[in-house]
Amino acid sequence: MAEAEATSAAVRTSRQDALVRLEGVHKWFGNLHVLKGVDISMLQRDVLVIIGPSGSGKSTLLRCVNMLEAPTLGKVWFEGREITDVRTDLNEVRTHIGIVFQAFNLFPHMTAMRNVTVALERILKLSSDEATERAWEQLVRVGLGNKANAYPGQLSGGQQQRVAIARALAMRPRLMLFDEVTSALDPELVGEVLDVMIRLAGDGMTMMVVTHEMGFAREVGTRMLFMDEGRVVEQGEPREMYRDPQSLRLREFLGKVL
Amino acid sequence: MAVTEAPARDPEAAPDVRGPTAPLPASILVLGIASLVVVVGGVLASQINYALSDRTLTQACIDEGISPDDNGGLGVCNIVEGLRDTLTTGSLYLGIAFGVAALALGWSTYKRMDSKRRRDQAVTGAVLGAQAIFLALVLLVFRSGEPALFTKHFLNFADLEGYGGVFIRGARNTLILAFVGELGGIVIGLILGVLTLSPYRAVRAPARIYINFFRGTPLIWQLAAGFFVLLLGFNIRISGFIVAILIFALNTGAYAAEVFRAGIQSIERGQIEAARSLGMSYLQAMRYAIVPQAVRRVIPPLMNEFVILIKDTALVAVIGLTASEYEIFTTAREGQSATFNATFFTAAAIAYLVITLPLIRLVNVAEKHLRSGLVGIAGTGG
Repeated sequence: MAEAEATSAAVRTSRQDALVRLEGVHKWFGNLHVLKGVDISMLQRDVLVIIGPSGSGKSTLLRCVNMLEAPTLGKVWFEGREITDVRTDLNEVRTHIGIVFQAFNLFPHMTAMRNVTVALERILKLSSDEATERAWEQLVRVGLGNKANAYPGQLSGGQQQRVAIARALAMRPRLMLFDEVTSALDPELVGEVLDVMIRLAGDGMTMMVVTHEMGFAREVGTRMLFMDEGRVVEQGEPREMYRDPQSLRLREFLGKVL
Repeated sequence: MAVTEAPARDPEAAPDVRGPTAPLPASILVLGIASLVVVVGGVLASQINYALSDRTLTQACIDEGISPDDNGGLGVCNIVEGLRDTLTTGSLYLGIAFGVAALALGWSTYKRMDSKRRRDQAVTGAVLGAQAIFLALVLLVFRSGEPALFTKHFLNFADLEGYGGVFIRGARNTLILAFVGELGGIVIGLILGVLTLSPYRAVRAPARIYINFFRGTPLIWQLAAGFFVLLLGFNIRISGFIVAILIFALNTGAYAAEVFRAGIQSIERGQIEAARSLGMSYLQAMRYAIVPQAVRRVIPPLMNEFVILIKDTALVAVIGLTASEYEIFTTAREGQSATFNATFFTAAAIAYLVITLPLIRLVNVAEKHLRSGLVGIAGTGG
């Protein structure tokens, strides 16, 4: 009894500390059961890497964290606020959570600079000068100071993806989500994007990364989840999981991708 | 030597690989062109000959009901006589002969042509020949009917003298009706288009009802009913011209709504996701990210709607307008009822073409520009 109370107290503390927490998250698309009860919690400065075969629900899970997909069942907390609560101002929450997509999703009718500043000015209500300064800082950080006036159509895939990262970072998010951000890139362009992400992790950014880049997962991830068929099959420290996979499915998966 | 050394024009241009020509396909092409030139040239030459030379009304024309007192009667007679002239007859039959030759030769040989250029020439010659045959047959049939009666009523421009000013005023009024109507329609359409994409059925439903009502009933009825609804129902007394603009805007709004909806839906889903992820509300995402892109894509279809509306303004004929409000069609109707000469409507058709042809050309240019622009704009590069 006392023990149970102590445990629940411990859980409550971890609830307080966790930057992100998902509890019993299920997602159906029509009759397709994509997530089958996922529990996750992330602490600050965690770099949580999610791997798994395609169709295992990795991306859907990631998109539940900023409510681009609303869980059918279950709850999601961000900084202690339950964001699955309909009363939550999701627009405000999303200003603190950056996301980078597989398909870049830059606004094609805006320059790289404008892509970064538009939300700073319209949403964070920064002055044009402040927004430009902040955007400039981030574009330089991703190595694209010389491309500020280029339109997305004039940039390579790797450059577009780095602009997308700068756009998300300029909001000064407390969490960054990366959804297979190198999957649409030509092989020779993958490195420049991963370099930016490695530096970001080094700077202490909290990151959730869905990826097929196994090397990146091992080197940069502080924690790793292996998902299959909508469930978290195994989780732990990446090197440990690579060296000694517990489940048969992870062993099979690693055997295919490594 | 010429084979090894490519022509030193533009080093970027692809080489011309259509290959050489030969006497047979070249002569098919020449026959095809000749057949069309003979038909069109013969008819025109004969008409010009009659129009420019000094003539009087022929007995044949008088027999067919053209009186010397008719305003423009001589001109009508000249057109008809020109059509019956041996020069016309000869060139029609000669054109048909050339055309048949080109068509037969081209049709039977084009599959055996062994270079792209030869095949192109054989096909083009045959097609031109077919066009000449068609044109000549239509003219032969036409003149075997009652060309005098037709020409007297539809191609007698003499009565139009002095109507230039009113037609220009009519064209101005047509453009005002169509342009202001289209502008109003675009505003209504943008709002309705966004509403039809709402996740709430309660928001979508009224927009859909509006759109289906205005798309599902005849514009001519909307004009007539709108006039009386305002006058009798709401007791609003405004000029028929303003009512017409209002109805055109409401009607175009329904069509523009569908155009905008399709335009917005054509924007990749990732765009709204990216915008929402930056903390934008749905409407902010629409305003900053989606609509600016959609607008580019809907410019050609909206311009098409504008061309359609220009012609539909003729329907204001069903509501009461004052003389200064007459647009092209009502202007023509007034002229026709004053003179019993339907050539006014021919002039109206020409006036519509003068306005719409440049616009149609502009739509095509915009479409081409947009299509090439899309590659640079939406291309994901790597």
